[in-house]
Amino acid sequence: MKAMTVVVIILLTIVSLVYIFPIYWTLVTAVKTSLQIFTYPPIFFPTRFTLSNFYTAGNIFGAVSQTAVGSVPWMIDSTIVAIIATLASTFLIAAPAAYSLVRYIKSVWLGRLILFMTMIPEAVFMVPFFLIVVKINLLNTWWGLILVYISFTAPFATWLLMGFFNDIPKSVEEAAEIDGLSPYQIFYRISLRLVIPGIIAALILNFISCWNELLYALILTYSPFPAGAQTVPLFLTSFIIVEKSFAWGGLAAAGIFTMLPTIILGIYAQKYLARGLTMGAVKG
Amino acid sequence: MRVNRALRVGLILALPIIIYFLIFFIYPLITLFQSAFTNTAGAYTLANFTNMLTDRVLKISLENTAFYFFGSVALEYSVGFGVAFLLYNYLGRLRSIFRTIIFLPLMVSPVVIGLMWLLLLNTNYGPIDYMIRLLGLPPVNWLGNLSLAMPSLIIANGWEYSPFVFLIIYAGLQMVPQQLYEAASVDGLTRFQTFRYITLPSIRASMIIAFLLNSIGVLKGFDLVYVLTNGGPGYSTYILSFYEYVVGFSFFETHYAAALAILFLIIIGAFVFVMLKFTSVEEYLGLRRLKE
Repeated sequence: MKAMTVVVIILLTIVSLVYIFPIYWTLVTAVKTSLQIFTYPPIFFPTRFTLSNFYTAGNIFGAVSQTAVGSVPWMIDSTIVAIIATLASTFLIAAPAAYSLVRYIKSVWLGRLILFMTMIPEAVFMVPFFLIVVKINLLNTWWGLILVYISFTAPFATWLLMGFFNDIPKSVEEAAEIDGLSPYQIFYRISLRLVIPGIIAALILNFISCWNELLYALILTYSPFPAGAQTVPLFLTSFIIVEKSFAWGGLAAAGIFTMLPTIILGIYAQKYLARGLTMGAVKG
Repeated sequence: MRVNRALRVGLILALPIIIYFLIFFIYPLITLFQSAFTNTAGAYTLANFTNMLTDRVLKISLENTAFYFFGSVALEYSVGFGVAFLLYNYLGRLRSIFRTIIFLPLMVSPVVIGLMWLLLLNTNYGPIDYMIRLLGLPPVNWLGNLSLAMPSLIIANGWEYSPFVFLIIYAGLQMVPQQLYEAASVDGLTRFQTFRYITLPSIRASMIIAFLLNSIGVLKGFDLVYVLTNGGPGYSTYILSFYEYVVGFSFFETHYAAALAILFLIIIGAFVFVMLKFTSVEEYLGLRRLKE
């Protein structure tokens, strides 16, 4: 029995190293100098560190490209688009809809529809959303992206909040009804406040998925703030395409730097993360 | 009267999502079908669909998608399940440390995961090829090799998604009542029998949900292909979503891309339909509670 435990610990330690190593490698690449990066054998444990990758453009062969710190305009776009899409879909659409579905309409078919909508890949609506955004003249704008992002943030938040509203004991609402509150007052003053953990989960997870979204941003935007609305993933992909073989330090630094907001949110929301990521299948 | 009033309240609360549904689902769907069934001149045609039959790249993309799908899901499911099972059954206090570590990839954005694996898989300076050379083997050009590019994508995808399967299965294991295990040990069941007759039936719900959500996540995939291989070398890592993107936004054949999107929608729809029809996934996700 004891021997088995030791074997399992060794096995799981190896597995854990596999999960940690890519992150570790990116971190050390970000703080290595070019000479330390392009060397054989590779340096696993650098003893000297530099932060220059975060602010110096990689310019091997004289081609000056972006830097991690230079991603700020893209970050502004990402932040504004993600915040507005997330707030609007959660408070204006998802919360009342989820409450209505759980307490009033109670249709399994509508529930199925919401569930199915959370599963539709972006690629399916890529063409129609492009045509629509062109038609209403919102290409390369915050509003164009926000409208399209609501298409996936709203069903997700609705589904998530349905689970949370379901967990409220009916007796709470019945007591409020006896006290003479109208259905809307019960929703707004009682039930909505009881699902605040769910609302935080929906806000944070939707913020992260907007921040990370690539495909829609790729087809709907073509320049960053202030002229356009290109988001962080586009900053990274165009940086990668240009510098794939050259400025690895800069690339790694950019990856780390642009990930900070979502990592911080993720750590803050850790206890809600499980429930949200698994569509409510796991109670966080 | 009461029923009518309840229905009215329900509809008023649901009004925003009804409007949302018309604007963000029905209208794009109509637009999608409209472009798929017309040509650039605006005339109605079935050509976009008949062209699929002779499209060699589509055939390759579908085969690649199948390979990517089965490879990724098999890898993620076996690793996620295995790690969850070992962690839950053999470790005590150390559990939370390992759990936190295995959680890490879930916090990293897909584009950055692509970037990480670009650095890791590099032939000349990457750590993986260094270790291969230490073993005395020749270095491998992972992303540039016709038959290795797809497996490399699957490995990167496995790194991204296996923690997700782990998360669901582990939560399922935690919910199995301890009395069941006590009863099993009183009855003298062997380890394997306990696994087969106690553990497996008890975590059925988690297993099915993990499979459904993992599969959908893999089918949605686009970012890793775009960043790591951009479809190459040749067409070897073209998957359906990537091919559709290339057709629509590199060749600007939006009508054909729309037809491909309908094909994609049918595939996803069929998959979800089969899952809902033949498993109790609705019950496990809490959908049936709406009826109460």
